[in-house]
Amino acid sequence: MTKQLTAAERLERMLAIVPWVAAHPGGVSLSELSDRFQLTPTQLEECLRIVWMVGVHPYTPDALIDLTLESDHVEIRLPDYFTRPLRLTVAQAFALVAAGRSVLSAPDADPDGPLARGLDKLAGALGSDRSSVVDVELGENSTEVAVLQRAVTERRQLEIDYYTYGRDQLATRRIDPWSVQSVDGFWYVKAFCHSAEAVRTFRVDRIRDIRPLGTNFIAGSEDSRIESFRPTDADPQITLNLAPSAGWVVTQYPIRESKTLADGRSQVTLAVSSPQWLERLLVRLGTDAEVVASDPSLATCGSDAARRILHRYLK
Amino acid sequence: MAAIDDKFERLMNLTAALLDAERPLGRDYILERVAGYTADGESNRRTFERDKVDLLKLGIPIVLEDIPGEADGVQGYRIERTDYELPDPELDPAELAALHLALRAVRVGESDSLGTRALWRLGGVLGAEENNPSASAFTLGALPTDPALVPLFGAVLERRVATFVYGTSEGESTRSLEPWRLEFQRGHWYVLGFDVDRQGERNFRIDRIVGTIETGPAGSFAPSTSSRGDQPFRPWNPDGSGDQSVTAILRVDGDHAATATELLGAETISAAENNGAIVYEVPVTSWPAFRSFVLSFLDHAELIGPPELRSDLIDWLRTMDDRGADS
Repeated sequence: MTKQLTAAERLERMLAIVPWVAAHPGGVSLSELSDRFQLTPTQLEECLRIVWMVGVHPYTPDALIDLTLESDHVEIRLPDYFTRPLRLTVAQAFALVAAGRSVLSAPDADPDGPLARGLDKLAGALGSDRSSVVDVELGENSTEVAVLQRAVTERRQLEIDYYTYGRDQLATRRIDPWSVQSVDGFWYVKAFCHSAEAVRTFRVDRIRDIRPLGTNFIAGSEDSRIESFRPTDADPQITLNLAPSAGWVVTQYPIRESKTLADGRSQVTLAVSSPQWLERLLVRLGTDAEVVASDPSLATCGSDAARRILHRYLK
Repeated sequence: MAAIDDKFERLMNLTAALLDAERPLGRDYILERVAGYTADGESNRRTFERDKVDLLKLGIPIVLEDIPGEADGVQGYRIERTDYELPDPELDPAELAALHLALRAVRVGESDSLGTRALWRLGGVLGAEENNPSASAFTLGALPTDPALVPLFGAVLERRVATFVYGTSEGESTRSLEPWRLEFQRGHWYVLGFDVDRQGERNFRIDRIVGTIETGPAGSFAPSTSSRGDQPFRPWNPDGSGDQSVTAILRVDGDHAATATELLGAETISAAENNGAIVYEVPVTSWPAFRSFVLSFLDHAELIGPPELRSDLIDWLRTMDDRGADS
């Protein structure tokens, strides 16, 4: 049982398929069309049986699309329309170019390979002289990324010195690296951490040293996809009044609640993943942020951090 | 089923008629001469209006124009073929397959259907291994999207001036930009181009654009010949120039120096100390932005000079410390 396509979905597909078939004068097989354009043979046949009747006034044979459909073979001869597919929308073009440029920025990408050539040609069809109108850096391409990618492929256990930004702490861990991925501009490795005895995600630029161990591991069965940070209900919360100049906080961090106050400031509630994260935020905001309410454990976070930093300047 | 068949046939016929038309077709002509408009009067007109919306949603460029030779104000519909037809990029099978693989490796935003639909128009989806269990091993990552990206990408491709409201720590202002390209760096999208009012090259962080983007006519400026721009965006020196900057001297502890070097640029290193700490000399035009950067290191970094910035930083911290003591 395949999904029933709407009339507009059929139209979109046929505006691509009809010119493609017509460009192959000897005709093509239905099974190839079905693979290439992601329709089941039944869906395809349903559409083609209608295309056979399409044309322009007065709908005499010479004004219709000339289509022959015999068992697995289809041939199309066109009047003067539908000879080229419809242009890409800007959103479609962007999705394709952004994905392509991302892959080209990965450490093992081939700058002269088929992807690079395809993107260059695509840029031409989009009316741009260069394919570099979009540049993507998935993350810093350090040697660590390459070492980790190899360890993932070889299923090799590693020992890493890892700096936990949230806790401001450096520690050595033994990990089974499962997957290396870029999320929001940084490389991450998802791994089973033997020190924590749990699955953990590590940011590659915070790994200070990697030492491959002699042991291999058995691949984990869990989903290897790495998601960006999402606060949980268990995280403590803080509510801040922010001056207009601190508006960037709203765009940078996941906000639980937000409202505008009568004096033009905004009041936001944030989930706090770690006290050190909040320390950084508060010392950077200074007097632009006023703590309205907070979990008791966080109440003096900002001033404590300020005092600690001051100590370095005044000693 | 029959209703979908009828509508699909009518939409195909309508598209064919508008593409084939040498002059704009009036609505009455369309309802009479395009097969499929079989109902009467008002109901037919409503059907036509809905069909038009379906076509526009697919990106079919229907225009409404005066009909030559008719009385003033009599208008009709047409599709300009050069606006409709995709120039043939002549992608070979390996290139199509590489683009498909890229779409599967990198998620752009929440939906992956946009890129796939683009591939249909380019000649289909090749190298498909939908049931390949190891497909997730190809996953390379994800890019966030922003509502401003697509209009800005359109403006870059068609060389239209983009006008938008931009928010910074100094407030909001309206900017007009000849956009050259989009860049994704360290987790943020930027648009880079020539700022028309400020007469210079500028970077803008796209998530700080407020509201919608207005764009001017196509082909409004020459392609960029800029050689710069591969430089990462540094908010404490957004123009990337040394003009009117002060030189800040910053010491960062060894454990944090790698991060600092990446963010500040290796060219700013002035000395490496025995304990692993590194001293940087950084051109700064926006002190609030640099102060924010220095403070993100907490007590692992120290601003050494110049004295006026150091004392401003100390005052900043004292105010916070005092406020904590009061509460």
